[in-house]
Amino acid sequence: MSTPTVDIPRPDVIPPEPYTFPVAERRTLPNGLEVVVYDVPGQYVHSVRLSVPLPLSREPREQEGVATIMARTLDEGTETHSSSEFALLLERKGVALGAGASEAGISIDVDVAKRHLEYALDLLRQTLTEPAFPAAEVARHVKQRLAEIEQERSVAAQRGAIELIATFFDPDERSSRPTAGTRDTVGAITRDDVAAFHAREVSPVGATLVLAGDLDDVDAFAAIEAALGGWSAPEGWEAPPEPVAARTAANRGRVVLVDRPGSVQTELIVATPGPDRRVDDGWAPYPVLGFVLGGSPNARVDAVLREEKGYTYGIRSVFRPRRRGGLFLTSGSVRGDVTVESLDILLTILDGARQGFTDVETKQGVDYIAMTAASRYATADAIADEAATLAFEGLTTEFTTATLRDLAEVDPERMVDAYGRFADGSWTVIVVGDAAAHADGIRALAHPVAQDVTVVTG
Amino acid sequence: MVGGVAYRRPVADIAYPIAERTLANGLRVVVSEDHTVPTVTVNLWVGVGSRHEPAGRTGFAHLFEHLMFQGSRNVKSGEHFSALMAEGGRLNATTWFDRTNYFETIPKGALELALWLEADRHGHLLDAVTQENLDNQRDVVKEEKRQRYDNVPYGNALTDVYATVFPDGHPYHHPTIGSMEDLDAASLEDVHAFFRHYYGPNNSVLTIVGDIEPEDAFAKVETYFGSLPGSAQPPPRDVHHLDPLTEPARLERLEDVPNDRLHLAWRLPVDSDEDYLACSLAFDVLGGLSTSRLVQRLVRDEQSATAVHAHTMGFVDGVSLGLLIIDVAAGTEASAVEAAVVEEVERLIAEGPTDVELESSLAETERSWLSSLASQEERADLICHYTLLADDSHYVNTLLDRVGAIGRERIKTAAAAYLQPRSRTVVSYLVEEQEAAA
Repeated sequence: MSTPTVDIPRPDVIPPEPYTFPVAERRTLPNGLEVVVYDVPGQYVHSVRLSVPLPLSREPREQEGVATIMARTLDEGTETHSSSEFALLLERKGVALGAGASEAGISIDVDVAKRHLEYALDLLRQTLTEPAFPAAEVARHVKQRLAEIEQERSVAAQRGAIELIATFFDPDERSSRPTAGTRDTVGAITRDDVAAFHAREVSPVGATLVLAGDLDDVDAFAAIEAALGGWSAPEGWEAPPEPVAARTAANRGRVVLVDRPGSVQTELIVATPGPDRRVDDGWAPYPVLGFVLGGSPNARVDAVLREEKGYTYGIRSVFRPRRRGGLFLTSGSVRGDVTVESLDILLTILDGARQGFTDVETKQGVDYIAMTAASRYATADAIADEAATLAFEGLTTEFTTATLRDLAEVDPERMVDAYGRFADGSWTVIVVGDAAAHADGIRALAHPVAQDVTVVTG
Repeated sequence: MVGGVAYRRPVADIAYPIAERTLANGLRVVVSEDHTVPTVTVNLWVGVGSRHEPAGRTGFAHLFEHLMFQGSRNVKSGEHFSALMAEGGRLNATTWFDRTNYFETIPKGALELALWLEADRHGHLLDAVTQENLDNQRDVVKEEKRQRYDNVPYGNALTDVYATVFPDGHPYHHPTIGSMEDLDAASLEDVHAFFRHYYGPNNSVLTIVGDIEPEDAFAKVETYFGSLPGSAQPPPRDVHHLDPLTEPARLERLEDVPNDRLHLAWRLPVDSDEDYLACSLAFDVLGGLSTSRLVQRLVRDEQSATAVHAHTMGFVDGVSLGLLIIDVAAGTEASAVEAAVVEEVERLIAEGPTDVELESSLAETERSWLSSLASQEERADLICHYTLLADDSHYVNTLLDRVGAIGRERIKTAAAAYLQPRSRTVVSYLVEEQEAAA
């Protein structure tokens, strides 16, 4: 029985005005710290982001992971407060402080209710200028990182990511090994190693502090300068060298199968080099390519593997820029017994995209990226995150606005040029699943990279 | 005389504008205008979730949610996603024990398209449902289950917790994802019956947050939803009351996991009860903060655990759930960690929280609540949540005051009532020792 209603005609849409990223006010403090401030009315939690560019290659080879341990122990005690006391200082005012290391450097994130901004900035100062790195706390974080390594190895997607970098990058590159270190290197890290790394590398010169939030009645620059103006570069500090793209492995175009006997699903990762944001023809086509290929249930990959075949909950494609160079990644899980067919379909779609893109899918992708910007960058944390990410690359959020404007010039021809520049078919393929069930089938695939299949365990 | 930090107004003033209206067909509409960004969020909560699934049909509410994207009377399969994304929409849907939600954030000029698409599927889904779509989305959901539950370490631990804390047949005994067998059993007839029973404006709340005046929003919702009949049969609420357990319940699994993990769970009062909030603060004091007692003792001091997590899940039907999850450090017996947890729970019941603990918990609650409300998406979702499940569209503005008024003594008495060690459930995932490789 149909309900007795009259269908209402489909309404028209009024397109939004072109989006402009919020405009920052910028100043460089005398100590070299670049300060970037966004007034975002109505955002009552302030987001503070500190980006300290620092290539991981500065870590001694036998202490890889020391940057991560250093970042994680910045708030585990200062010259005047024990670890527990400092935790209480943060929590009594609801200050959320987190720190970590990445390929680009050290990041510290602070989120705090507006009225406690100055208080939070002073705690940030203490972590930067007075960290004590107590031996017991460093040892505890080493132990936690060792447990985390075991947990990472037990999750298919994370196990695959570890194998990907080992296969994709030249083994002499730091990027071929986990950012936060391995069992061998982390276990050896001491309190003195951490303190020495901090004293040698962490400097306000070249670093960027971003603040975003509702600044009505807040003198942001005065508060930041009062807190961090006295932070100085370590004695003898030398600016890190300009970043260079990590070399890829000579034999990266192959399949590595990480054996998980009896696995009910298989994790697939397909990767090839991608651009960084400074790529010659502009960054604008790349987010669109990611969307068109693997950014929605109707994207090329999921239209087949999810909506037609029902083999996956979802597979995603993304261009992931690094400070220099980047990766184009497609990844997700498929039902175990259709592993070989799914990989074949996936490679066929990714290779086939070199033939070009339609007007309709290009327009839909461009419109999605351009017109979601207002909501993607609506909150203080999203604005601060974008600015802090770009700061590592020496870019400002004027880049974000310019890239969004440039989307208007992205047409199918530019899409296919951009894609073909990187997606040359030399895929690195990581398969985490039951090797006995799938290895022979993968070897029988016609694709060139399937002619070189290595099975690894553990 | 009042004094001491816990008695000062402890939290920020929150005053998001709220306008509410109920259409003639029973649809509750809430509008919160916010002109800071030229976008709007449309968020719909339907009062149906996995708690309404009968025996043999677990997982059905969630499978049904997937079918809501596969077309309706005037919308092709997949078009709900593609039409909104092409206009700059970000959208999805989720299913939980008590409800199913559907939401999109779009440029304000696409609001009417969003309402038209939502009204078409919430009013006329059955015109388009096919066996082929059902079979396809059943396969997709099974892959979701494998990805999120079956193929990850500890992936079924919460399923074990629900099944151990709540008795067989209780609405919260089974997880939202359901079982493979029950997913296989779902038929087109089930889809039709489920839609007719639960989907309709009188079992839903629609919230719009963003760059629009309330009267304009109400008029637009009336245009697209006003003609739908109030045909749903909203189920009764809060009829499956459960008291705390009177003796501990246990489940132990030997698994291929990286470390021993303990899940300690308690039955709590329903979400709308002040004691639920008091218990939530008690879980903060035990394990939800970096200064919490169990973090301080197990992670920092004894180093018998590498991580402690605490959280509570508020439900509407007779009971809620409080949970501590502890990763046991290598070389420590899980039983020793459990004994330490019991000691700390007993101490909290005997002494209550300190002023400083309460201050920290309130400060963390304030920041995380303000962060949640910072985005239009989450603000709309929270407004729908408490309008549908607690009949309180102003909850987002009053929660912090309510939490701030609870105080140490209430936390102590709530802990004594609900968190007794004898009332605990313990689900242990222990490392299965592997034979050494030959």
